[in-house]
Amino acid sequence: MKDNNEPIIKIENIHKRFGKVHALRGVNLQVKKGEVVVIVGPSGSGKSTLLRCINRLEEYTSGKIIVDGIPLDTAQNINLVRQEIGMVFQSFNLFAHLTVLDNLMLAQKIIRKRSPEESRKIAVDLLKKVGIPEKLNAYPAQISGGQQQRVAIARALAMNPRIMLFDEPTSALDPEMIKEVLDVMMQLAKEGMTMVVVSHEMGFARAAAHRIIFMDEGQIIEEAPPEVLFTNPKQERTKRFLSKVLNH
Amino acid sequence: MFGRLQTERPEPPETKVPELENIPEAGIGYHIDAWWWLVALVAGIIAILSITKPDPYWRIVLFVRDGIGITVLITVVSFILMLFVGMLGGLGRISKNKFIHLVTTLYVELVRGIPLLVQLIWWYFAFPVIIKQIGVWTHISFLENYEANAIVLAIFGFVFCYGAYMSEIFRAGIQSIPKGQMEAARSLGMSYFQSMRYVVLPQAIRVILPPVGNEFIALLKDSSLVSAVALADLTRRGREFMAANFDPLQVWTMIALLYLVMTLFSARIVNYIERRTKFER
Repeated sequence: MKDNNEPIIKIENIHKRFGKVHALRGVNLQVKKGEVVVIVGPSGSGKSTLLRCINRLEEYTSGKIIVDGIPLDTAQNINLVRQEIGMVFQSFNLFAHLTVLDNLMLAQKIIRKRSPEESRKIAVDLLKKVGIPEKLNAYPAQISGGQQQRVAIARALAMNPRIMLFDEPTSALDPEMIKEVLDVMMQLAKEGMTMVVVSHEMGFARAAAHRIIFMDEGQIIEEAPPEVLFTNPKQERTKRFLSKVLNH
Repeated sequence: MFGRLQTERPEPPETKVPELENIPEAGIGYHIDAWWWLVALVAGIIAILSITKPDPYWRIVLFVRDGIGITVLITVVSFILMLFVGMLGGLGRISKNKFIHLVTTLYVELVRGIPLLVQLIWWYFAFPVIIKQIGVWTHISFLENYEANAIVLAIFGFVFCYGAYMSEIFRAGIQSIPKGQMEAARSLGMSYFQSMRYVVLPQAIRVILPPVGNEFIALLKDSSLVSAVALADLTRRGREFMAANFDPLQVWTMIALLYLVMTLFSARIVNYIERRTKFER
């Protein structure tokens, strides 16, 4: 058995350059099992890039990432790690040519080699869990953005991931749909899912996060539990950022 | 608590775009079906000419009958094969592997710069010379005695040429699918090829159906070029009939009408498939 305090995600000195832009400048971060980490920061600070490095959707220039003891080096390891990490995108990215049910079943059948009956049952249960059991046979374009995002969460959960990554999951949603998605995320956090969330939803961060990471210009500036970071930030840059997003 | 930032958030862009069919005056749905009357009209003209003046019209139809078969055979077989070539070429054109990318790009650029007629003639007259020469060098009698098969080489020529154009259509179609679709598939642990096979290509195919359908119709017409390489297709059979009877007006009018009914009919089929496979995005 693994030691429980052993971090499930280890990020060591990650650098990322897009041509001349130095997007990540030596980021170190460890996430423990069951921990909910919310990354905040101004746009262009590298938070989405960092998140996308964790399942290697983004290649990094140097540094090391180890997920659940598996280093992200070979193509085989990367696919293995991706199977353990669920990812939710800002633009939902549901498979447009498949029904909601098939969206949830596809990877289960191909990657997990589950029978159609089994994957269907898992899919139906998860759709109940995210609160849209009646949209089984709808196509993504026929349901609202909030519903699409909840289906996307269910699609990721269907693979029984050990970690969930959320890349600004509510930024493309109409205001009245944000809550339904955050509610599902809250529930996941309560169930003990390991989550790394990039979000501008300070309310969610305050209520669900164990730790807030503040990033700016490709670096982690400050990290602390929400009650500390929101009320008593140490760094000047953190204060400036928080004053912009919290006081209005 | 959750909604603190909502008032400041700009409205997300409208995702639902009104579809053309829903704009009442456009009346596209009506016109699409009306085009079937054009197919019927041309077929009717052929029938009336054949019945009222069997000599020469019905004689022409009987004479060129096997030519129609050759034309259809070459078109259909070439088309099916060029779909595979186009798909591989399209995947090659977007490949990150520099060698594959270079080879497919070179192929597309070369083929597009040479007239189709010249390519067909090259395959029929020049290619066998190379094969025979290779046979002489290697002493393989099978290659030394190679006889040019007009149908096979014609199909080869069409697949080679149209495959290049088809590659560009596939490339554009694949690239039109939002990058997030591939990312979502990869994030679930699917390999590049699984993501292509199950997520990207099924969507790309629907995008490229109209241009691919157009290629089929263009190919049907271009197949008349094989009359230059000793293949008895519809055009060549027409020329043979004219040489024997010397009535150019009747023969070439009839040949034109026969091509027309085939292309119009194909266009309707393409249109039908397009509408059946359409989906909302």
